[in-house]
Amino acid sequence: MFSFQTIIDNLPVLAASARYTLLISGAGCLLGLIFGALICVAAVSRAPAARAFAGLYVSFFRGVPLLIQLLLAFYLLPLVGVNVPALAAAIFTVGLCAAAYISEILRGALNAIPRGQAEAAIAVGLSPRHIWTRILLPQALKISMPALVNELILLVKASSLVTVVGIVEITRMSQAIASATYRPLEIYLTAAFLYLAINLVIAALGRNLERRLAW
Amino acid sequence: MMELDLFREYGPALLRGLGVTIFCWIVGTACAMALGFLLALVQRGVSARPVQWILRAYVEFIRGTPFLVQLFVLYYGAPMLGLRLDAMPAGLLGLTIYGSPYFAEIFRAGLNAVPLGQIEAARAMGFAPATILRRIMIPVMLVSALPALVNFSIILTKETVILSMITVPEIMFETQTMMAETFAFAESTLVLALFFWVFVETISRIGRRLERRATHYLLDRS
Amino acid sequence: MTLRTTLRAALFGATALALTATGALADMLEDIKAAGKITTATEMHYAPFDMLENGEYAGFNKELFDEVAKELGVTAEYQDLPWASILPGLEVSKFDFVNAPVTITPERMERYAFTLPISDATVALVQRKGGDLTKPEDIKGKTVGIQKGTAQEKQLEAYSDTLGGFTIRGYGSPDEAYADLAAGRLDAVAGSAPNLAYLAKTRPDVFETIQPPFGEPKYFAWVTRKEGSESLIEAMNAALIKIQDDGRLAAMQEKWFGTATALPKEMPAM
Repeated sequence: MFSFQTIIDNLPVLAASARYTLLISGAGCLLGLIFGALICVAAVSRAPAARAFAGLYVSFFRGVPLLIQLLLAFYLLPLVGVNVPALAAAIFTVGLCAAAYISEILRGALNAIPRGQAEAAIAVGLSPRHIWTRILLPQALKISMPALVNELILLVKASSLVTVVGIVEITRMSQAIASATYRPLEIYLTAAFLYLAINLVIAALGRNLERRLAW
Repeated sequence: MMELDLFREYGPALLRGLGVTIFCWIVGTACAMALGFLLALVQRGVSARPVQWILRAYVEFIRGTPFLVQLFVLYYGAPMLGLRLDAMPAGLLGLTIYGSPYFAEIFRAGLNAVPLGQIEAARAMGFAPATILRRIMIPVMLVSALPALVNFSIILTKETVILSMITVPEIMFETQTMMAETFAFAESTLVLALFFWVFVETISRIGRRLERRATHYLLDRS
Repeated sequence: MTLRTTLRAALFGATALALTATGALADMLEDIKAAGKITTATEMHYAPFDMLENGEYAGFNKELFDEVAKELGVTAEYQDLPWASILPGLEVSKFDFVNAPVTITPERMERYAFTLPISDATVALVQRKGGDLTKPEDIKGKTVGIQKGTAQEKQLEAYSDTLGGFTIRGYGSPDEAYADLAAGRLDAVAGSAPNLAYLAKTRPDVFETIQPPFGEPKYFAWVTRKEGSESLIEAMNAALIKIQDDGRLAAMQEKWFGTATALPKEMPAM
């Protein structure tokens, strides 16, 4: 009863839809890295307002399910005048959500950097901006590389939720094909293996990168 | 006034939805923990290669695929194999399967952290393996694993909203039903978001408190 | 501040935002003609209205909407969106028109602007080929499947009350219900007549419809926002009537539903 033919017939279309999965998770991760670094700087800053903002930010984006965040971006943002295309909204929302997790990863990594380094940098007269961009963040990035690769894998999986705002990535495409072919088992399993393949490749690339970073 | 009417009409359904959310979360988490613990024990206790391979493949597959797709396979796909589950049992089974490898990993790390000397000492004193597990390994393991267990259980709260996509009548599903009739899309979604924010913050706090208490209790006993 | 007052404040805040966002609006028809295109959204899993064939959008809705767009002198752009996000998306102007088949109801009429009916939506039943049901009333005491959370579900419940009871089993999508019907776990599945006609037409060895439809007469139509859409709706209705009069509609109905039926040329009374 299991129809391999269905899988063979539909694999090209399904695989093509993976470009949206990759785009959303990849761009979302990059955006998350940028915002995450900023949130992290705020979280360890000496200004109470900045710390409070970082705390609220992390608590909100980690407390509200991503599915609801996506719907909020879709239903609510246009009401305040931000009516961007669905793809941009999806990447932005995934990025904002990832930033909350990435900022915590980076904060953990900062703790692993000897305090003396920042103190030495202050002593030789480096500006705070340079201390962050030249000394602290690059090292934090390197230390947290395994956790960041893991975060990217989480985002690949989380990107399945953007189906609710109308982006035809792997999951949405598999729903459409399952409904058209009456073959849900074959199609959803194929989708699952597609995600698995993407994530195994990312994990392998990540290990490779770690080896190269460990000079 | 309008709000009151709305609440009178949809309040019961929303409360029921909240009940279903909490039920799914608690039962799903408990089952996932149980299965995860079993997996950790098998991984530790059975060294036969095929068993290890199957276990490894299971963990990789579940951790490498989205929860939503797993639910679709279970709910829409499994009937073709003769396994027809209603939305709620499918959702609970989905949560159990989805959470199990993460819990297994937490338990595995916890069990590895139990000092070998303690186990050997107990063995030397003639304790049965089951007694060693119950009296020594589990309490000691729990002390180191508790923070991660609490953390992942909280993550699972948020995953329960995904059950709405296979029509489990939890809070998200009930809210969407309400929205389809009241057209108050933005407001309802905002309220739902704020609700989850408060809910997750609250249970995180309770979780951390319980974690501290349980740690004291376990340390006292061992 | 208690939780309730906080939520209330947030609720009012959002409502206030919603009010300020709906200011003066231009005429939609002019905007669409100026842009040369009309943007739409539908859920592309609703055969025979909307479906994907080899990854390409196809179906009765697409063909009919393409013709209407041609009459307006614009091209139609289609977007796939889950049903739950379609009306919210329309409200916040993510697209111009919902080209999904939306059942016309009094509540929706109050909030949205409907075109003339594009299809019959009366609820009917389908059974296994060679099943022993000969008329809708025969389902008394049997088990009937239905897609959960639909307008048809409510009608089916009401029908169960009048008939004196049958078991209703809810499904996430109609496809699952059809699968269970084929497997013998259900005696019938309820749905709108055109969907069931298409099912019986594409899989005649498995399914057959039970005549006549049991529900009260209902229609599917397309919807848009009320503000600024008057002239657009007028133009689309004129196009729909023209397409019906010159036989194009009947040809499409034959192709997708297997039978042609005349549609009202005036808005049916609710």
